[in-house]
Amino acid sequence: MTSFLQATLYGLLQGGLLGLIAVGFSLVWGVMNIVNLAHGAFVVLGAYVGWQVNDWIGLDPFLGMFVAAAVLFGLGYGLQRWLINLVVNGPVFITLLLTFGLDLMIVQAMNIAFSADYRSIPTSYAGNSLHLGGVRVPVGRLLAFGVSVAVTLALVALINRTRTGLSIMATGMDRGAARLMGIRARHVYALTFGIAAGLAGMAGTMVGTVGTFNPAAAGGYTLLSFVIAVLGGLGNMYGALIGGLVIGLVEAWAGQYLSGTWINALAFLVLVVVLIVRPSGLVGRAYYAARLEV
Amino acid sequence: MAAAARWRPLVPWVSGLLLLLAALGLQSQLYSGQERTVTAIFMFVALAQAWNLIGGYAGYASFGQVVFFGIGGYFTAVAMTHWHFSFWTCLVLGGAVAALFGALIGMPLLRLRGHYFAIATLGVAEGIREVVTNLPDLTGGGAGITLPTVGDQATTAYLGNDGFYLLFLALAALAVLVSALVAGSKAGFALRAIHQDEQAAGAMGINTTRIKVLTFALSGLITGLVGATYAFQQVTIFPERLFDVDITVLMVVMVVIGGSGTVLGPLVGAVVLQFLSEYLRQNYTSYHIFLLGAIIIVAVVLLPQGAVNYVRDARRTGEYSLLANVRRYRL
Repeated sequence: MTSFLQATLYGLLQGGLLGLIAVGFSLVWGVMNIVNLAHGAFVVLGAYVGWQVNDWIGLDPFLGMFVAAAVLFGLGYGLQRWLINLVVNGPVFITLLLTFGLDLMIVQAMNIAFSADYRSIPTSYAGNSLHLGGVRVPVGRLLAFGVSVAVTLALVALINRTRTGLSIMATGMDRGAARLMGIRARHVYALTFGIAAGLAGMAGTMVGTVGTFNPAAAGGYTLLSFVIAVLGGLGNMYGALIGGLVIGLVEAWAGQYLSGTWINALAFLVLVVVLIVRPSGLVGRAYYAARLEV
Repeated sequence: MAAAARWRPLVPWVSGLLLLLAALGLQSQLYSGQERTVTAIFMFVALAQAWNLIGGYAGYASFGQVVFFGIGGYFTAVAMTHWHFSFWTCLVLGGAVAALFGALIGMPLLRLRGHYFAIATLGVAEGIREVVTNLPDLTGGGAGITLPTVGDQATTAYLGNDGFYLLFLALAALAVLVSALVAGSKAGFALRAIHQDEQAAGAMGINTTRIKVLTFALSGLITGLVGATYAFQQVTIFPERLFDVDITVLMVVMVVIGGSGTVLGPLVGAVVLQFLSEYLRQNYTSYHIFLLGAIIIVAVVLLPQGAVNYVRDARRTGEYSLLANVRRYRL
């Protein structure tokens, strides 16, 4: 029983962080119909930014993640504003390929700048644990979970309650109408991509604090974001959080009771079944990715 | 003039035949390193053509296409190692198994559209890779499996550089031929109708499910044949390599850069990209992936519809400006 509780707790803590990793991916996909294959590279780049400021001035990663978020926001804004906007009306393959090219460039640049070695951002406390009646709660993961959930909720509030957020939502629902209402679609798209990249960078710094990372990990995070975004469904900011928790739990339970790497197979099985049974995801709405562009 | 018009339909076939003869003649001019490079080009021509059937003509972006490659390869490895089949039997059966698998997963998955189809196929590919990894008694698991190519255990003599050059050339020629036949057939028009408007295609009396599933199986067949040959060429194979998502992405990149939905596009894309990638690898060892990424970005921005479609449209309309091209998909 204790081992089950331990696995469940670990799955939930991991799931919250996975949700933050994927929420930007889901936002970009839902609003702009772009599947961003460079998303995992943003996550790892965020981890390196957090690592670098920690190395230079000893900044705590839970503060350094704001630096990572700012750097990645700038990068994301610029990329969308001056590059991805050039092809955003094209067929799906086009944006897919463009972001694939970006992924290759960012990952290789990180390889050259930081080498392929595994790294971790050191803290004095992240490895400690609290004990709750036989169940061990790692402090670093608990903090990362708390921050992830808080940031996701803040994003929901931003999207649903501010002018900026509503203009993002409006552009996602009907770009033509939004432009007629005076919304600057190019700027809003860039803002959306910047927010997504910033959140990925923030999540990346936390990933680097509770575990290890290297440039080759980027592809895995992209794939995971894919799975989580689909599971949760697009067009709903809670979707990524729910998808993340589901995947976190499935992987933790499978890790407890199944041998080898059957865990990964299970995650994909869940994905394919959800797609066939409920293509719009657990809490998503179908029209988002399937709508026509003006 | 009338005579010229009569012979015109033959031009693509004759130039295809000349290209095949040129590829055969080229072999004696290459030293072994170059021969392997050109062999890899042939392999990707076949793979890109196979992807183009489902992704280009029908517009269903299969992001798990590599699953057929892996199934063909692993069937060959398992059958040669455990059941002592000859390679040629494995090649045929491996292709058939991949085609059957395509039909089976195609039936539920081809109901999904756009990104959802892409992800579902990706999920299948990743899932099958994990299954292969977790059956070590049969497949060798993550440690890989070595095909019997020498000694008493060998069921078929290893083909060597020259043999694989010819075999991959044959597969590439077969894939181009299939693509050309599909493009000109009733099925090809049905696929393009599905691409443009699936509901309308169904309303016109096209059995969309059947044609999509058959095309997916055909695409799986060619990919499986290539995978089987690749496994024999590599001798030792690993799940990470045979189910590598990068192979799928390369197929997509080649088709899109060359021009999707055309016979010539995947051929041009595969030759140009594989050649360029090899050139960069040899001359800019540590930066070559970075440069490749930059080239893909520039190509996608300047030629979003692919080289072949660009040239065809430009000749028809007289509009050669690449900036007009960029303007088309810009926000």
